[in-house]
Amino acid sequence: MSRSISSRLSAALVAGLTLIVALAVAAPDSADAQRKKVLNIAAKEPDTLDPHASTLGQSQAIARFMFRGLTRFAIKDGKVTTAEVEPDLAESWTLSPDGTLWTFKLKKGVQFHKGHGEMTAEDVKFSFERQLQKTPGMRYGVNLDVIKSIEVIDPHTVQIMLKAFDPIFLLRMVGYQQGYIVSKKAATNHEQFKWQPIGTGPFYFERHAPREKIVLKVFDKFVGGRPQIDEVQWFDVPEDATKLIGLEKGTFDLLYPEVVTADVADQVKRMGYVIDRRGPGSQERFYLDITHKPFDDVRVRKAFMHAIDRKAIKETMYPGGLARLATSCVSPGYFGHIQMNFPEHDPEKAKKLLAEAGYPNGFTVKNYTISKSFFYPKVLTLAQEQLRKVGINVEMQVVEHATYHDNIRKNLNPFVLYGGTRITDADPWLSLFFDSKEIPDPATGNKGTNFAHYKAIDDLLHAGRVERDQKKRAAIYAEAQKRIERDLVCLPISDVPSQWPRNQKRVSAPFDPEYGEYSLHYSYNYPELLKIIN
Amino acid sequence: MVTYVLRRLLVAVPMLLGAMSIVFFAMRVLPGDPCVAMMGDQATSEALADCTKNLGLHRPLVVQYADYMWRSVQLDFGKSLRQGYPVSEYIARMFPHTFILVMAAAVVAALVGIPVGIVSALKRRNPLIDYPLRIFALLGLSMPVFWLGILLLIFFSLRLNLFPLIGGGDLDGVIAMIRSGEMFKYPGDFAIAILDVLHHLTLPALALGFTLAATVSRLSRSAMLEVISQDYIRTARAKGQIERAVVYKHALRNMMVPLLTIIGLFVAIALTGTVLTETVFTRPGLGKMLVDAISARDYPLAQGAITVFTMIIITVNLMVDMLYAAVDPRITYK
Repeated sequence: MSRSISSRLSAALVAGLTLIVALAVAAPDSADAQRKKVLNIAAKEPDTLDPHASTLGQSQAIARFMFRGLTRFAIKDGKVTTAEVEPDLAESWTLSPDGTLWTFKLKKGVQFHKGHGEMTAEDVKFSFERQLQKTPGMRYGVNLDVIKSIEVIDPHTVQIMLKAFDPIFLLRMVGYQQGYIVSKKAATNHEQFKWQPIGTGPFYFERHAPREKIVLKVFDKFVGGRPQIDEVQWFDVPEDATKLIGLEKGTFDLLYPEVVTADVADQVKRMGYVIDRRGPGSQERFYLDITHKPFDDVRVRKAFMHAIDRKAIKETMYPGGLARLATSCVSPGYFGHIQMNFPEHDPEKAKKLLAEAGYPNGFTVKNYTISKSFFYPKVLTLAQEQLRKVGINVEMQVVEHATYHDNIRKNLNPFVLYGGTRITDADPWLSLFFDSKEIPDPATGNKGTNFAHYKAIDDLLHAGRVERDQKKRAAIYAEAQKRIERDLVCLPISDVPSQWPRNQKRVSAPFDPEYGEYSLHYSYNYPELLKIIN
Repeated sequence: MVTYVLRRLLVAVPMLLGAMSIVFFAMRVLPGDPCVAMMGDQATSEALADCTKNLGLHRPLVVQYADYMWRSVQLDFGKSLRQGYPVSEYIARMFPHTFILVMAAAVVAALVGIPVGIVSALKRRNPLIDYPLRIFALLGLSMPVFWLGILLLIFFSLRLNLFPLIGGGDLDGVIAMIRSGEMFKYPGDFAIAILDVLHHLTLPALALGFTLAATVSRLSRSAMLEVISQDYIRTARAKGQIERAVVYKHALRNMMVPLLTIIGLFVAIALTGTVLTETVFTRPGLGKMLVDAISARDYPLAQGAITVFTMIIITVNLMVDMLYAAVDPRITYK
């Protein structure tokens, strides 16, 4: 009997294995995919393809494949720059003597995807007005608030009247976030446009299989000439481990990882592939709330900074070239950046300062919450250990990312760990994080990001916004950074670039992998220049 | 019987409404704001206020609840806050992927787990058979599905290049061919499409199925042990019946009732297992969708997905109860 059961069991197992092998052999890759030049990218799924409607990295990254702006980050000496622009969809522009009226001449013959016709001044007006009018879902209207009115002069001329002179207006017009030009005809139905995007970029949207992939096709009439790549397949791959296996197997050519750790970098190197690093990327930094006891005492803030070993955190998180040790609260590559000085790592000095401030035995920060996502828990765990050594005990609770964002806007944490990227100029950066208007306040519902509750550079921010001389502006922002340094309200740790592993044996990129693109985009600034070489 | 089914269906309605209410309030109690989750560090106070208003989240909770329940009873779960797709459409698209994964994993788990459990019970006094089988069960129980999944991917997909790394195959195409009747018109193409789906399904089903097989084998073992210690088994043996007849005719049939209970539980376990399986194998499906929806505080999508999960579990439990009567003539429903 037992032989009978065993033999039936064996037969079932053999049958199962046979089926598995048959399935494995029976379904080869499609020959069609091999004929076409297809670029396979592993990333996460965007939440929308409307470039004005999402702040997610993956949504912004894919937008650059489909959309363009009036200006673009200039290429200089074979590198993409940050704070300089050149014409893209605009042919030229002029500024009125009072600095408030911009006149843009548009390139002629620029076509929208899928037969939506030529791009005209009406489309430009519509693209900005839909954001200014706070159409539901728009995310970047605030970046265009400086605009007073937009007037179409003729199909290829548009005038934009500003409320006041804006020193970074041409940066705002870059094909990035609010600067993308969309087809008026297509985007009038905002809801539909989310997944039926029409732009003027090198690739057009073909289809979306939710939770699986997005397919883009080459746009033959792209104003910059037809790209070499025929098709882009953007796969939704949430796990970095799966992305790496796919890179090694050849399923993917480019990866957009959640985070590039030393382990990820080692694996990519072992495969013989490269990592394209684009700056300035995101800066990870601490803000110290000057209204929150005991951080209202400058000696405590200084002790905090002496206690933190920035280099150790940076090297643990991002060894070697995976990031750069931050040198200022305004990252390098942003207009107005200067090098700042921060208290060096010295636990003894920290203890002494704490004693002077009335905390000879240190103190405990209770109910400190930190996001469980991204770099947050790791950086804070490292900082927690360093702070403990000088007597500052942080009782940490790990929470969902959304909860963390909620809590820090309720001023629950006396110091806030934060990361981010903004338009590459000191004005928007400092305005968001140090303007008194941005102090979060649950009582009024203000959910701003001035977590330090700092008020000491409002005058400089105002002066910078009306100054037309770039040298004087640079001096103003230098002074602002010096005040921040003096008041010890911000401690930057790492400048982490946007990093995409690439199979360079199959795909060539036009710029040096090491910061050849020093500008804002989450993906390549010029995806039309990527080439399949194998 | 019909009366019983109708009564159970009627009872299921308040159960479902209760579950939906719990989910609605649980999502709101969960700290975190959908707008903050969506806009992240780019959020200005004004933009956040606009976003909250546009999504209707500024309305009193009671109004939102009433609106949600009223729409839900009309099978309108609203639109995904994040992606804007109608939730019903989204779920309808994801459901087949999860359904075939659970079914395939169930087949794997049943084919492996039940025989292993039975043999392990019958051969419990033979350590050469029982111990390896118990180790197998222990391995299956302790191996997380994401770890086993990555191992399978590395070995079968990366090294041997036998299976695809990601995706669920063209299941939408298969469904479209079935709906349009093209499966009869182009049987060759249909067979290829089915094969493609199975090709993509094999590794995830093995990973999920194997981890579930361990549970099934342990439960089958206990069920079998209980049955074979019964008097009628001893009587069957005493009257000289051959062992095969004792096992197949008497023991196996009698262990079907506890086994059906296992299958009922199994669907709930498998549904939770799909979350990790779909993530590791990058398959579309309800599990992955639900986790993303909860992280993003995409209320309508999470509520819709949990409602569907609840409906599946209620339906399966009802079916299991019906099957009790089929396998055990002593059970009748009035």
